[in-house]
Amino acid sequence: MSRKYELVYVVSPEATDEQVADLHTQVGAIVQRIGGQIEKTDNWGRRKLAYEIGRHKEGTYVLEVIDGGGELMKEIDRRLKVTDLVIRHLIVRVDEDQGVVERTRARRTETTRRRRTARGLPPDRQPGEGQRGELDDDRDDRFDLGEEVR
Amino acid sequence: MNGRRGFGGGGGGSGRGKPAAGQQAKDGQRRPMFRRRKVCKFCADKIDDINYKDVRMLMPFVPERAKVLPRRISGTCAMHQRKLRTAIMRARALALIPYTSE
Repeated sequence: MSRKYELVYVVSPEATDEQVADLHTQVGAIVQRIGGQIEKTDNWGRRKLAYEIGRHKEGTYVLEVIDGGGELMKEIDRRLKVTDLVIRHLIVRVDEDQGVVERTRARRTETTRRRRTARGLPPDRQPGEGQRGELDDDRDDRFDLGEEVR
Repeated sequence: MNGRRGFGGGGGGSGRGKPAAGQQAKDGQRRPMFRRRKVCKFCADKIDDINYKDVRMLMPFVPERAKVLPRRISGTCAMHQRKLRTAIMRARALALIPYTSE
């Protein structure tokens, strides 16, 4: 059974683009070796850090979505820990949460459709149907915070 | 917008949450002013996935001191507050959100 993980790592701002690309190939090599697959790679580019990490104020963020087992992620975690160029990394398992999200969405659309048919309407919302609801209100201040937190 | 202060009873805070002048309060009991019912943002907007990568979405829930905004103020439901908390903690680990502001 394959699991899906998200790996985000922050590369030191001193690293060149080649070094960042090199890190990506290194991760790819581990994934290849232990058996898995990189599903998606996303370079967020240079971002300001919310706080200093060992005198660094910026970092390059890279996201990788990896299909593989726990052993593979353990190895990647170990490797990233010893890589000095990577100042922070995070591995999160996502397949289960994604499943939950999909199921909630499916259940919700199903209920709406059932309710709509019960009311004698076509199951899907027609364009231009319904009145302007409270949610369309531009001046919606439900989530405005009172003074107490400002 | 000071209408949200002193939700319900809870005693204390003498005088602060009093209704505006003109409204008579019976023997010190504060009459709550009209307050819009708080709704969980994630339930209302049908956001199922509270993701640690979406800093724009998380930022309203970490005001000023970078603490997690309590449920009693934001009105978030228990389930979503839990998910929000994990998302914020993950974002903090990656320095996307501060742990504290000085």
